[in-house]
Amino acid sequence: MILVEHLGKSFHDARRGWVEAVRDVSFECRPGEIFGLLGPNGAGKTTTLRTLSTVLKPTEGRAVVAGYDVVEHPEEVRRRIGFMSAGTGIYDRMTAWELVEYFGRLYGIPKDALRDRMEAVFAWLRMDDFRDVLGSKMSTGMKQKVSIARTVVHDPPVLIFDEPTSGLDILVQRTVLDKILELRDMGKTVVFSTHSMSEVERLCSRVAVIYRGRLQAQGPIDELLAAHGQPNVEELFFALVEKADAEYEAAGAGAGAAS
Amino acid sequence: MSWSNVLLIFRREGMDQLRDRRTLFMVVVFPILLYPIIGAGVLQFAAALQEKPRRVVVVGAERLPKEPALLAPEGEGFNPSLFDSPAEAARLTVERRADAGEWANPAFREEAVRDGDASAVMVIPADLPEQFAARADVAIPIHYRSVDETSKITYLRLREALDRWKAGIVEERRKGDKLPEGYARPIEVRGLDAATTQEIGGSVWGRIFPFLLVLMSLTGAFYPAVDLCAGEKERGTMETLLISPAGRAEIVVGKFLAVLAASVTTAVLNLVSMGVTGLQLARRATAMGGGDPAREAAAALAPPTLQSALWMVVLLIPLAAFFSAICLAVAAMARSMKEGQYYMTPLYLVCLPLIFLTMAPGIELNAFYSLVPVTGVALLLRALIVGVYLTAFRFFVPVLLPTVVYAWLALRWAVDQFSDENVLFRESERFSLVPWIRGVIRDRGPRPTSAQAVLGFALIITASWLFAQVLLTTGLGGIGVVAAGQGVILLVPLVMAFLLTTDPAGTLRLRGAAGRYFAIGAAAAVAVKPLSAEFERLVQWAYPISDATRSVFESLLKGDTPLPLAILVFALVPAVCEEVAFRGFILSGLQSGRRTRSAIVLSALLFGLLHVFLSLFQQFFNAAILGVLIGLLAVRSRSLWPGVVFHAVNNGLAVATGAWIGLLQRAGIAGWVYRDAEDGLYHVPWVVAGAVVVAALVLHLWKFDRRDVGEAG
Repeated sequence: MILVEHLGKSFHDARRGWVEAVRDVSFECRPGEIFGLLGPNGAGKTTTLRTLSTVLKPTEGRAVVAGYDVVEHPEEVRRRIGFMSAGTGIYDRMTAWELVEYFGRLYGIPKDALRDRMEAVFAWLRMDDFRDVLGSKMSTGMKQKVSIARTVVHDPPVLIFDEPTSGLDILVQRTVLDKILELRDMGKTVVFSTHSMSEVERLCSRVAVIYRGRLQAQGPIDELLAAHGQPNVEELFFALVEKADAEYEAAGAGAGAAS
Repeated sequence: MSWSNVLLIFRREGMDQLRDRRTLFMVVVFPILLYPIIGAGVLQFAAALQEKPRRVVVVGAERLPKEPALLAPEGEGFNPSLFDSPAEAARLTVERRADAGEWANPAFREEAVRDGDASAVMVIPADLPEQFAARADVAIPIHYRSVDETSKITYLRLREALDRWKAGIVEERRKGDKLPEGYARPIEVRGLDAATTQEIGGSVWGRIFPFLLVLMSLTGAFYPAVDLCAGEKERGTMETLLISPAGRAEIVVGKFLAVLAASVTTAVLNLVSMGVTGLQLARRATAMGGGDPAREAAAALAPPTLQSALWMVVLLIPLAAFFSAICLAVAAMARSMKEGQYYMTPLYLVCLPLIFLTMAPGIELNAFYSLVPVTGVALLLRALIVGVYLTAFRFFVPVLLPTVVYAWLALRWAVDQFSDENVLFRESERFSLVPWIRGVIRDRGPRPTSAQAVLGFALIITASWLFAQVLLTTGLGGIGVVAAGQGVILLVPLVMAFLLTTDPAGTLRLRGAAGRYFAIGAAAAVAVKPLSAEFERLVQWAYPISDATRSVFESLLKGDTPLPLAILVFALVPAVCEEVAFRGFILSGLQSGRRTRSAIVLSALLFGLLHVFLSLFQQFFNAAILGVLIGLLAVRSRSLWPGVVFHAVNNGLAVATGAWIGLLQRAGIAGWVYRDAEDGLYHVPWVVAGAVVVAALVLHLWKFDRRDVGEAG
């Protein structure tokens, strides 16, 4: 359902020239599975996922989401994904119901079907008691629920969560993670990025470690642990990061000597 | 584009603005409250001003003659018959002082005025009675302070009263000497004002109204635009919207309509509030006192008629659309509301001079101003308010049309901004000039960017203008200078292409082209001639060229310049220089990240603008149309040279027209070609044939000469 091949994204920076935020990233994610993208801040997770959501255009490689190429058919891709991140806020001056309805309408859902769908979603997320509360008056937990409702209102086959739990208290974190698991059980294709090891261990069947814009390793968690001889995800992560840093310094020193 | 999505976004953004207290205040509450408060303030202020009489100290009043009387016989005042009305006379009180003691001292009198003890001090000299009897000249000194507004007004009032008093004295003497009545007043001027009440009112409103109206529609667009772009980025809802299925154009148009609604509402509410306040003020002014001044004040404040008001609203919509789109595009760059506010100053700085023209006396709407963004609308608004309907209707379409075009271009720019991930996901980075320039040169690509193309155009205009100023001061002139001026146009794109691109030759399209493109270029230039002659006549009919300008241009062309030299300077040199600039650097730059069609049209518009800035604005139309033709030729042939041929043939025909027609006339066949040889107008069949050929060539280039492979090259 998600196929990423040799994806690369460079940004132009006045000071440093062209900077590669993501380089040669390839992975695949199938329905009923949660694919974890694990990496520290600035590793390239957000850039990769924004490329999948079509708001950024890749400079190298390609990505196919729900059967459509993100460059050639961005509208079709956006129609079939639900995207949620720390950056996707909700409107202060709209109520929970209005906001979800607004996005549902943008997805082109007919009015009656939308109302039924929203009733179901609001019940599923237990949001009925703050239907008519304005975004500015909501607690963080309420806002997060509204965001999830907005993400799933059109029942998309593919869901992309970019660090959905960052900055949340543990109660809200748990709710969000539970709902993501439930979505997986509904047969959705889920990509999930985080810098939390425990979340990866809890949710993901397969994981990719991204660091310095490149995938350092990917595969089912137990296979990765076995292959790298590490006891848990945390140790695995640090081992990969150290290895990448060593390679980077060696390459940097080599380049420095060459020039 | 899905209009249901546009409508949906528009409704949401509109509702969002209605729920925002700040916007609501700026758009609705502020205009409704502002004018009544100003109005009340003005009335109170005027009342306060009226109630306080000014004190005039008259030193040596006892020396004044009994007849005619300067001062009222009793009380502290002047003779009321010297003023328009007793109320007017009551504004000055008189304090009589003997010409003795401290008041005899000029320094003390001056001090009294300076300290504000008296608004003016008038001194009746000791020899006044004797001099009067002798019919000699007497000086009456008045102390006042010109920098003190009240003192100055008092002085002017005193002078007026003294003038009437003087006339009274002369009249007495005339009677005494039994001279005829016209002896002292040989003429009497009676001004008869042809202006109607509406026009008198309009001239006052006509200056303030367009200014405030345009300013308010800009303000009304700016705050919502910043809120809907920068504010959304700041609150993190922009990305939420971008990942919805709504296309960028739908998002922009939806937001644009919301901003437009706010802008128009602000402007109309201002209009209504201002009008109602004006009416109220006028009523109060009439009620407060009879007499001409009150009626004049009433007339001056009478609001425009309903008809004018309706036309103003019609005109306001495209202007508000222009502002809304500009504000959206500018606000899209901002990352936060705070940064958005920073962009307001430059926006106002550009707009204010354009609006200030309406306040300047003597500036009338003409063909040129009708094309200038904002100014055209502001001047037309003034014409509508003043009630000069003839001018207003003549220029209604010429103002409306460009404004609609500007609004459309601005909207396209806004859509471009929203499609640019660098604009939407801009991150703050430290800016320093030298590394930035170094970075631009280091990371240059094979082609310039759009921004660099526009910068190139601006540099060409600026450099040419500076060059012209240098010429003016040094007094140089002549045909060599014309060629040197073209050199400036050539130099800018050459330097920029070498500095900013890795492939200057490709950027300037310096490679050769297939022979057929040269043939097409030459044929099109010849075929388009009868058509452009007709078009030129149409333009000159709509926008007549002044005789002075025409003679300057004709002297340049006709002079004693030998024809080959004229062709070199006016046809070949411009063909090369302008083509390198416009179809080389600028078109290449505009082509990056834009559809070819838009790039050609934009480059042609800039080409037209060049003619507005450097020669006659009437040439804008022809130049822009030819610019499209040459642009298409350059894109399809992927070479500059066929365009150079077109350009050279086109200019060459213009330069040689006189010689050519003379030749035909001598051969006796001019009548076959021209229906009006003097103006170079061809017979209709020639025009039609030319049009058909040009249309066929354009169609061929556009439709059948596509090279789908390597289009970018």
